[in-house]
Amino acid sequence: MSRLPLAARIAVYFLVALSALAVLFPLLWMVASALKSNGEIINPRSPLIPADPQWSNLSSAWNAAPFGRFFLNTAIFSAVTTAGQIATGMLAGYAFAMFSFPAKRVLFYLVLSGLMIPFTVVLVPVVQLLADVGWINTYQGLIVPNLASALGCFLFRQFFLGTPLELAEAARIDGASEWRIFLRIYAPLATPMTAAFTTIAFLQNWNNFLFPLVVTSSEKLMMISQGLTIFEGQLNQVSWNLLMAGSLIAVVPVLIVAMFAQRKVVDGLTLGAIR
Amino acid sequence: MTSWIQPRSSIAPDARPRRSRASGPRRAGRPGSGQYSGARLHGWRRLTPYPFVAPVLALTVLFSVFPLVLVLRRSLYAGNIFDTNLRFAGLANYRLVFATGGGHALIVTAVFTAGFVAVCMLAGMAIALLLDVRLPGLTAVRALFVIPLVVPPVATAFIWFTLFQPDTGFFNRVLVALDLPQATLSTPGTALIAVIGFGAWQFFGEVVLLYLAALKSLPRDVLEAASVDGAGAWARLRRIRLPLLRHQTALIAVIATLTGLQTFTQIYILTNGGPQGATQTALYYVYQEAFGLGASGSVGAADAMAVLLFAISLLVTIAQLVIVSRAQRAQAS
Repeated sequence: MSRLPLAARIAVYFLVALSALAVLFPLLWMVASALKSNGEIINPRSPLIPADPQWSNLSSAWNAAPFGRFFLNTAIFSAVTTAGQIATGMLAGYAFAMFSFPAKRVLFYLVLSGLMIPFTVVLVPVVQLLADVGWINTYQGLIVPNLASALGCFLFRQFFLGTPLELAEAARIDGASEWRIFLRIYAPLATPMTAAFTTIAFLQNWNNFLFPLVVTSSEKLMMISQGLTIFEGQLNQVSWNLLMAGSLIAVVPVLIVAMFAQRKVVDGLTLGAIR
Repeated sequence: MTSWIQPRSSIAPDARPRRSRASGPRRAGRPGSGQYSGARLHGWRRLTPYPFVAPVLALTVLFSVFPLVLVLRRSLYAGNIFDTNLRFAGLANYRLVFATGGGHALIVTAVFTAGFVAVCMLAGMAIALLLDVRLPGLTAVRALFVIPLVVPPVATAFIWFTLFQPDTGFFNRVLVALDLPQATLSTPGTALIAVIGFGAWQFFGEVVLLYLAALKSLPRDVLEAASVDGAGAWARLRRIRLPLLRHQTALIAVIATLTGLQTFTQIYILTNGGPQGATQTALYYVYQEAFGLGASGSVGAADAMAVLLFAISLLVTIAQLVIVSRAQRAQAS
């Protein structure tokens, strides 16, 4: 649509560039601060960009807290919960879309109610339940309550409602088991949905903060977000550069994933709209 | 993946588009028998659906529905977090909520959410409209606005915390350069504005994406006809695009509202609910009473506030369902 006059085109590009800069500014500020020396950090007149980048800040921050452990914990938590949410959501979504069975309506509304109950509302009783079975400060306490996603179930059901029933009918006539029909025919059909949901669920689990905060206090189990708060507590008032270096360490892996899976991230975030 | 406003996203359990096969004799005899859509299995296979749905059902009941019943019941009982013999206390917990700053927390929640939604909607729509202009390169830029959405809120909260530092933070450097008084997080008003701005900065990319998807769904021919008839860009936006987008706008606002009500991490790191409770939202109050204050907190008050929070979210969700069904009816007719 090159019907736009040149001035309008320039204005659009200018406004987009300006807003992109405004949105990215805090992250640029983080990078600049992470590479400043202590003297530059506490000097209100120091230039915004560090004159002599202190790359050693990154290794100092990394060594000041068990970041390796934090990353490992975050990776385990995110991988397991995401895999669980996909498996449970796809199975149930498939069944709700493809089969007719007694009590289907009631069971579906029960799952749907999970969508309407914000996790924060039931946070206290869930923690009490976990305490009752001794799961506070354990991997299972962190992971099991997050293994199902009502949203995932709903999205996969939406997807399978659009797939033809005839494939299953043909396979049934050929004697395939229901499990095999699901695994070999329909699950692969859902790959685009699975990919979009995986990226968004993984990022959400990776960034989860409130739940790990109330279920764990042991540094051995901490995820990167909670680890950063511990790290902050250990710093003195002028170590903003190290705090920013720590934040940079936490942000970069997510940015890399989001960059490579850009399209899927956008798809996934748009999916979430039915929340 | 823009099916979210299409009739397909109906929440009815029998939403499968009907095809010839299912209109067999068995189905015809049962009015309103939509739940029989999907394959009817025979013999042992009839049991197949149950193990398929069991994991999600069990986990949803165990970690959502049952805890909700617990929290509703417990909000009427006195006792501390590990107490087993609870005493019925009527509405004492709810009175306690309002005696311990809960009323203020609800007001803060309302102000925060209103500000958060307003900033997200205005900025999100403005940028979506800019990115919707068909010019080379703009699709690639879209990803930049998604970045705040995917990076860990704890890390970004620390960034915003340093931005607001007196003297050395960027905002105060600018204010000092302009000879204006400094804005710090120790001032209640500034702190509330800061968490609104920070929260909106982190989330508004979602609004951009949703509006972009909605804008793509608009009928091009109508817009082009208006353009041919001499309607300028502003007139097309005000008289055609915004009215056509009203259902989506309402839905996006609902999503932003639910997100605003659930905001925790940003406030926890940036202001810790302070100063003087200026940024203590309802959710933050729940956290404080149940976990943050240790023995001096009241789980009863946390439960009661959680119930209030649930009631508010439920109202918003019901509004969402009404909007969806209206949009579907509008689309069907």
